[in-house]
Amino acid sequence: MRSTAKALLLSGSALLSAALVSGVVMAQDATFVMPSREVGAPSYNPIKGTRLNAATTLIYDRMVIQDADQSFHGQLATSWETTADGMSWTFKLRPGVKFHDGEPFDAQTIVWWLPKFKGTENAFMTDAIDKVEVIDPLTVKFVMKNPDPNMLFNMASSFMGVPSPKAFDALGDRYGVSGAVGTGPFKLESFAVGQQTVLVRNDSYNSASKLSTNQGPAKLKKITIREIPDDSTAFLELKTGGVDMLLSVPTDFLPRLSAERATKVVTLPGTEVYYMPMNSSVEPFTDVKVREATAFAINQKEILASLFGGVGAEANTFLISGLAEAKIDPKFAISYDPARSKKVLDDAGWAMGPDGVRAKGGVKLQVKLWTQNGTEFKRVTEVVQAQLKAVGIGADITIFDAATITAQYRKKTDHQLAVRVYSWANADILDWFFAAKRAGHPNHSMWVNADSEALNEKAMKGSRNWDERVANFRAYHENLLSNFVFAPIYQPVQNFANADARLSVPAAVRGTRLQSQTIVDIEKK
Amino acid sequence: MLAFLLKRLAALAPVFLVVSIIIFMIIHLVPGDPIDSIVQIGSTPEQKAELTAKYGLDKPLLVQYGLWLAKLVTGDLGEAIILRQPVSTLIAQNLPHSLSLGTLALVFSTVVGIAAGAVAAIWKDGFVDRAVMGLILLGSTVPSFWLGLLMILLFAVQLGWFPVSGARTWSALVLPVLTIGMGGVALVARVTRVAMLDVARRDFVTMLHAKGVPAWRIQLQHILRHAMLPVVTILSLRIGWILGGAVTIEYVFARPGLGSLLITSLNQRDYPVVQGCLLMLAIAVMLGTLIGDIVQAMMDPRVRERMS
Repeated sequence: MRSTAKALLLSGSALLSAALVSGVVMAQDATFVMPSREVGAPSYNPIKGTRLNAATTLIYDRMVIQDADQSFHGQLATSWETTADGMSWTFKLRPGVKFHDGEPFDAQTIVWWLPKFKGTENAFMTDAIDKVEVIDPLTVKFVMKNPDPNMLFNMASSFMGVPSPKAFDALGDRYGVSGAVGTGPFKLESFAVGQQTVLVRNDSYNSASKLSTNQGPAKLKKITIREIPDDSTAFLELKTGGVDMLLSVPTDFLPRLSAERATKVVTLPGTEVYYMPMNSSVEPFTDVKVREATAFAINQKEILASLFGGVGAEANTFLISGLAEAKIDPKFAISYDPARSKKVLDDAGWAMGPDGVRAKGGVKLQVKLWTQNGTEFKRVTEVVQAQLKAVGIGADITIFDAATITAQYRKKTDHQLAVRVYSWANADILDWFFAAKRAGHPNHSMWVNADSEALNEKAMKGSRNWDERVANFRAYHENLLSNFVFAPIYQPVQNFANADARLSVPAAVRGTRLQSQTIVDIEKK
Repeated sequence: MLAFLLKRLAALAPVFLVVSIIIFMIIHLVPGDPIDSIVQIGSTPEQKAELTAKYGLDKPLLVQYGLWLAKLVTGDLGEAIILRQPVSTLIAQNLPHSLSLGTLALVFSTVVGIAAGAVAAIWKDGFVDRAVMGLILLGSTVPSFWLGLLMILLFAVQLGWFPVSGARTWSALVLPVLTIGMGGVALVARVTRVAMLDVARRDFVTMLHAKGVPAWRIQLQHILRHAMLPVVTILSLRIGWILGGAVTIEYVFARPGLGSLLITSLNQRDYPVVQGCLLMLAIAVMLGTLIGDIVQAMMDPRVRERMS
């Protein structure tokens, strides 16, 4: 009896000690929740992957990174310059940087790295580079096939995280799944796709950019990034203390989060735009007048106020307003004008019917309006439907899941209108979404026009420097706006939320997203 | 018994073949394909066609099925197109989570269901019976995902007794187990109650009462025991449901498992993974049915004779 009691006491003490020890370790750890749109990203292979998640920039450093104002700053590159003709770029590399596996980062790494993109889905980012020349162990020169003023933007992409050549070659096709080695502030400890990623601090980290206050290793020792597909569940986890930070919060959650005293919300300018492509290859949208009327029927201000509580901004062009290419001549901006919409339809012969839907030659102005599943999509689409009805355009909503709707777009002639969103902070999205060679998907507007193609070609390949590129893309953007191939709707902001009592997050997020340059400054309270 | 077992196993082969055809065709006939998830959005149709050919998705559907089946009979479930891992590895990583969740839910629904059914039968038409039957009605009609959300709000958010989601601690199992188990409790309790009331009307029970055997002993030792045949049958059939029942609940509670893997892969149309997961679920149902038949045959020789 006595020995049993003794054993129980000893076991109890051991358990208590274990609990206390784990409590100490836990105090240095943090748990984040990945943005729900990134759930299921299958790998941490930046060269071959087409979907990467928020943890990628914690494992890998990039040559260059961007601040929230879109400006470029060095990370693995300390400085760079390009020639006047844009035919070469020279980068000075940061000295003394090592990968997590101890391998050195230097000019030879770049010589190995860039050719790896050839033949991959991400090759478009390095296509303009003909070859890499080593000037000295810490200086490389990119010799170009053609000028690429977008070079710095490409180099700042998450897909441009530099992996360890040794680890990459050793793991082959398994790279990014069973292991991922970079020079970033955190090392990959484990990765279960769709579940969680565990990162541990890289204690040798010495390549923080000037955007970070903390120039040494990250303050957090361990970060567990959980993948929770349902935003409501993620919100409840934050509320109950199950996690410390949500890396993305839908705007419609903001009122609930604001009511939580223990929660702090940080907001960044967004990189997304909601818009409505119009299939210009099918009736009635082959008629530019119908497209114009449809575009001016969308009340951006009402959507911003009623659906998003005024958080975010109206979209009046195709691009996020932070881009220079979005600064177009105001006469091309598309902004709610119901009188113009109705007049254009009247002039085009679409007479208002007794049921509130216009008709012409016995054909009703009743169209298909597609959208994706998801609360925000559905709500925006329902308001758009009501706004179209207000000018006499009837719209029938169909909701698809993401994979199905893409297959439907590829049929090219099944869709008419759709509510969509994209996330991208560069004007080349215009090429992606409106180039004739991509008609169907992602050119959902099915826009095939010689003038537009010429302007696109000039913007994509005929610009020698950044200013020329901006001017050329601005002209292409204005051309698309004047053809009313889409209706802009809304620009969301990016919201992050953290438990204020447990986590100290810098007031200003440095970057276009919450990435390594800010996360190294986050600490447990 | 051996002849019976062999006959039942042989009968599963054509069922397996038909199930494999249905699984393969359903996922391939649904619009969308995995290539859209692995190409950059700016890729041209030519680039997409190249990848489609690389994964053999340009071949006629019957040829694709034949190739998949040929691998399947050797135990190779193929390689995930998007997740880029062997499907068997992905299933091996996720199956234990689903099995533990489903098994605990089955145990919960068995214990609570039999107890609730017995109590309702013993106090038939009384307050307890009505209360239990009301709860059973509720349990069998409330959608499990909604019940899960209610459980989260009450036990995780308001009371703070359990985690909202995940699988990092044992306590994270409690709410999903209760959510899945409630549907089973309703079924088992209803079957137990009906079976006990049926047995209670038999002559031998009247005789036991006449002999002065205490009522509690008659209920528990005689009626309940004889009423177990249909309950065991129902439970055997629910073995297959152990895996299938967890699909939506794993999503609600953000737990790893076959259900989460299936939904993630379905959204991306990762055909080999979807096929592998659905096959596992189908095999679980087939095995459950087989076990149900065996148990029935063991308990009732008439069944054994009829089926051999």
